[in-house]
Amino acid sequence: MTATISTTSVTPTRRRRRSARLSPLLVAFVLVPFAVESIWVFWPALQGFWFSLTRWDGMSSPAFVGTDNYVELAGDATFRGALVNTVIWLVLFGGLSVLGGFGMALVLQKERRGVGFYRAALFTPVVFSLVVTALVWRVFYQPDGIADTLLRAVGLESLIRPWLADPQTALYAVILPALWRQIGYVMVLFLAGLKAIDPALHEAARMDGANSWQRLRHVTIPQLKGVNAVVLSVIVIDSLRSFDIVWSLTKGGPYHSSELLSTYMYSTAFQSLRLGYASAIAVVIFVLALAVILGYLVRAFREEA
Amino acid sequence: MSDFDPGRRRFLGHLGLAGLGALGASSFLSACASSASGPTTSGGSGAVTIQSNLSSPQAKAAMEKLIENFNAQGKGRASLNTIASETFRTQLPTYLTSANPPDLYTWYAGSVANDYASKNLLLDVSDVWKSLGDYPQSLRTLSTDASGKQVFVPMNNYWWGFFYRKSNFAKWGVQEPKTWTEFLAVCETLKSKGVPPIGIGLGDTPWVASAWFDYLNIRINGAPFHRELLAGKQRFDDPKVKAVFTRWREALPYFDPKGKAYPFQEATTALLAGKTGMFLIGTFFADAAPKDALGDLDFFRFPIIDPAVPLAEEAPTDGFFASAKTANPTGTRALLSYLSGVEAQEAYVKASSGIVLPANPKAKASDSPLVVKGKAMLDEAKELTQFFNRDSSDALQPTADTALTKFIDKPDQIDAILREWQAGAEKVFKG
Repeated sequence: MTATISTTSVTPTRRRRRSARLSPLLVAFVLVPFAVESIWVFWPALQGFWFSLTRWDGMSSPAFVGTDNYVELAGDATFRGALVNTVIWLVLFGGLSVLGGFGMALVLQKERRGVGFYRAALFTPVVFSLVVTALVWRVFYQPDGIADTLLRAVGLESLIRPWLADPQTALYAVILPALWRQIGYVMVLFLAGLKAIDPALHEAARMDGANSWQRLRHVTIPQLKGVNAVVLSVIVIDSLRSFDIVWSLTKGGPYHSSELLSTYMYSTAFQSLRLGYASAIAVVIFVLALAVILGYLVRAFREEA
Repeated sequence: MSDFDPGRRRFLGHLGLAGLGALGASSFLSACASSASGPTTSGGSGAVTIQSNLSSPQAKAAMEKLIENFNAQGKGRASLNTIASETFRTQLPTYLTSANPPDLYTWYAGSVANDYASKNLLLDVSDVWKSLGDYPQSLRTLSTDASGKQVFVPMNNYWWGFFYRKSNFAKWGVQEPKTWTEFLAVCETLKSKGVPPIGIGLGDTPWVASAWFDYLNIRINGAPFHRELLAGKQRFDDPKVKAVFTRWREALPYFDPKGKAYPFQEATTALLAGKTGMFLIGTFFADAAPKDALGDLDFFRFPIIDPAVPLAEEAPTDGFFASAKTANPTGTRALLSYLSGVEAQEAYVKASSGIVLPANPKAKASDSPLVVKGKAMLDEAKELTQFFNRDSSDALQPTADTALTKFIDKPDQIDAILREWQAGAEKVFKG
């Protein structure tokens, strides 16, 4: 995205004469990152596509098998489960973190005494490594841990279960810590967006007799369009690459009940050593991310045009 | 923080992060203190590099001591790289296939090593074995690949068993069971006293359940069938495999329900605190046990189910193999000879303070009653197995984890579980 923006801004009409003879410095600025990116990003990504058409154990050379891996994916119950879980994750984790983050941003946008403390408190989880977060939450969920003690204190013993080891609850027990972290992050993005809204717009709306709900619906939300695109991209990408928290809490278990596409890809690649098949899963993740984000961007650009 | 590594004898434990940090710091410090500890590229006659996954403080110190002694002898130079266990496991294929690989690796004997040997990645160490004439035949066979050459040099092994606290068994008025019937009777007694009889730790360490599968299978169907099954020559949906689960089901009501949720380290704590009666586990669990509890610990062998089946025990063997591409095969073999010698093995046992049995028959193991009993148990066995992942592959282990944890949760679905297991295993064998 940044590349397209910079090239268009560099070649407005009045500078056309110069563009015939590009400055070597400019060329270097474009080509050097491109070369680095090619080696470290584009080439491995392309290789991933190639590997998805092979059978490869990481030691012998890859053997071409055509679309076998994709055919197998179509009939793989674990993959289907992981896909469904990823969709649940996208909806719950994505949806709730947007709602929560936006809500918190609205509550905390006004400058008043102590608001900085609350903002910082909400943002703190973002600072922790997810692996550390997982350790803390594991203590929370462990048998006779904090969660169980709390439930006992309010007389809900019957609800107590091995949260991370019960296939009914494992996925949700993992979403919670992920949300705990993501809400603070999304809040900061929205806070930045809210700050950028011209107060005159609210002023004018108030003069026209708009109540606070109408101002939210017709002033704040439309003004946040730019931020929304960023938040959506961040949420989708974060959902699809959510791995560390799941891996450190459940490893996708018990028996694949909290498996996401990302954890399934990892275990297929590095535990089962089926790198070809894992590459096929990676391609699916890539296509999913691209589809969601492109879909939104195309719509957003069409509206602007 | 992942503890997927059934065979590892030492673990970082629950303070893994702190441990890792300390590890990084200490390796940095030692790298400053002596250049020998830092990673070095192996030149033609340069130092022999050892990649070691023995990353717990005691085991790491023990290895450092061995390398120091070797370097002091002047027969060659070696340098040690200690890598966190999980990183080591995932990186091992990369090490071995790289153009300029480290020379020597700590790893496991058996099918895991043979698999690399079949890809011509391991150095032929038959020369080293010429001086190991007094090693038992079982270890020699274990270290020999399909083409008949030795590719592995064992360092030590350990055993699995039902561990318990003597004082607790006395308090509850129960004796070590010898047979399956006696075992179930002990379980019943403990349950009636309100103690969950069988501890287990499947949260984060689901591979612990494989010990149950391994043992029931070698007790009911025998070690040869077990090995064939794990090598893909038998099917997991075979009625003989189902028989294993029928037996297991008899013991399921006695499992600690909390065991699903916590790792084996916490299951160890529960056992020591008397919150569970006994725990089928390898001796490595004692690393986490406080010293005063160690004297109160005892174990009994997995109960006999069918006396007609030749007695087999799990005795995972740890040791070394070398890269076929080593630039310094002479130095590597010299180091292996040193490591397999009496002096090195005794030094390791002493420094590591773990409950392990040295591979060299002349080397003295620790003379604690626990170790004497463990050694006697293994000596009595007709056959030794390694462990699920070591007798098959790390790739097959996750299929077992899924099947076994699901069985413990939903024993009614055993037929479907075994069908899925077979399908999963076929994918792994196919590659």
